[in-house]
Amino acid sequence: MDTRELEGEQLSPRNGVQSGVSTATMDGGILMASLGARPGAGLQPALAGAEGYTDAEVMLRVKSGDQAAFDFLVQKYRRPLVSFMYRMARNAAAAEDLAQEVFLRVYRSRQSYEASAKFTTWLYRIATNLAVNHARDTRRERPEVTISLDEPDQETGTTMDVRDSSMTAEENLVREERMAAIRRKVEALPERQRTAVIMHKYQQMDYRQIAEVLKLSESATKSLLFRAYESLREQLKEFV
Amino acid sequence: MKCEEIRAVMPDLASGLGEVTPAISGHLAGCAACAGKLEEFRKTMALLDEWQAPEPSPYFDVRLQARLREEMAKPQSAWMAWLRRPVLAAALSVLMAIGVGLFVREGGGGYQPANNMIANNDAIVQAEPGTAVGDLSALEKNNDLYSDFELLDDLQVQHDVGANP
Repeated sequence: MDTRELEGEQLSPRNGVQSGVSTATMDGGILMASLGARPGAGLQPALAGAEGYTDAEVMLRVKSGDQAAFDFLVQKYRRPLVSFMYRMARNAAAAEDLAQEVFLRVYRSRQSYEASAKFTTWLYRIATNLAVNHARDTRRERPEVTISLDEPDQETGTTMDVRDSSMTAEENLVREERMAAIRRKVEALPERQRTAVIMHKYQQMDYRQIAEVLKLSESATKSLLFRAYESLREQLKEFV
Repeated sequence: MKCEEIRAVMPDLASGLGEVTPAISGHLAGCAACAGKLEEFRKTMALLDEWQAPEPSPYFDVRLQARLREEMAKPQSAWMAWLRRPVLAAALSVLMAIGVGLFVREGGGGYQPANNMIANNDAIVQAEPGTAVGDLSALEKNNDLYSDFELLDDLQVQHDVGANP
């Protein structure tokens, strides 16, 4: 990593686009948005300014006190993290809380961050630990999982927008049933297999990344994933 | 290429993440078991695609901003900041270890009666029955029992009085 680039005041991309972090912060980041701007409205400049940098380099900017660099990471990973947490935590509202908690922990740990590990490995390790602990803590209080595409979520008041308008009500019902079955079967996997499947299938992470997050060897991760998918194949064959 | 090697990469092949090399194609062409398994894995993967996750809610950023503001407003605890320094934290650990060591060495802090109390207890234990000291301590220790005997004696007398001669 070229430390000279990181020591500069501006987070200029390697391709030479002159849109720095300082400018982005003035244009609006999370802090600026919190002062009255529409949520997320002012985050794009920060994103544009950080193009061409690795996440680890951006995180080093966060470490040096650059708020816009943190905004960039939030905007880049909020969606993947919410979806990861949603599948891990089984609850949309809890998923958002947990994803926010991940970002808060990243922010709190910024001073101790070392770029030796890949940023996503670090991020997903935090996320996995949080999600697994949450799942363990709430195991007893969790009701039977059901998904309703019609009724709004009790906690958020939002309705899942996954219905296909081109389908009939009956087709949607069948689809809903299939989704619930998929969800139940994935959730019923042993903890490590479930985490590996969610990372592989839904986060598109490769074997090496999953192995690093789960602290396993690559071959053990391949074996773990094969067993998990084999189990899912067997249990979901009635829907295939 | 062996079946085990194909199986190791099958999740990637089935989800379209892995490249189908000529060696893999060659194996699949000649191994019906692996080809069949891969096909089933592909169908399972397609089914798993149906489990969709919702988008972050419009409140996500607002809530995160509020939590970040709280985080920033929180005064950095001097004590915690002190602990975060590895050298100082290590020094604290060493001091604690020494403290625990001294504590254990001094007897673990358990209750230890004074020496004179131990001597007195020994004297009581060693009192011979039949001697004055032994009898007195036996009387004192068994006072309740002897009281009951007296009560029983009284009952016996009453019983005798009521008896038919």
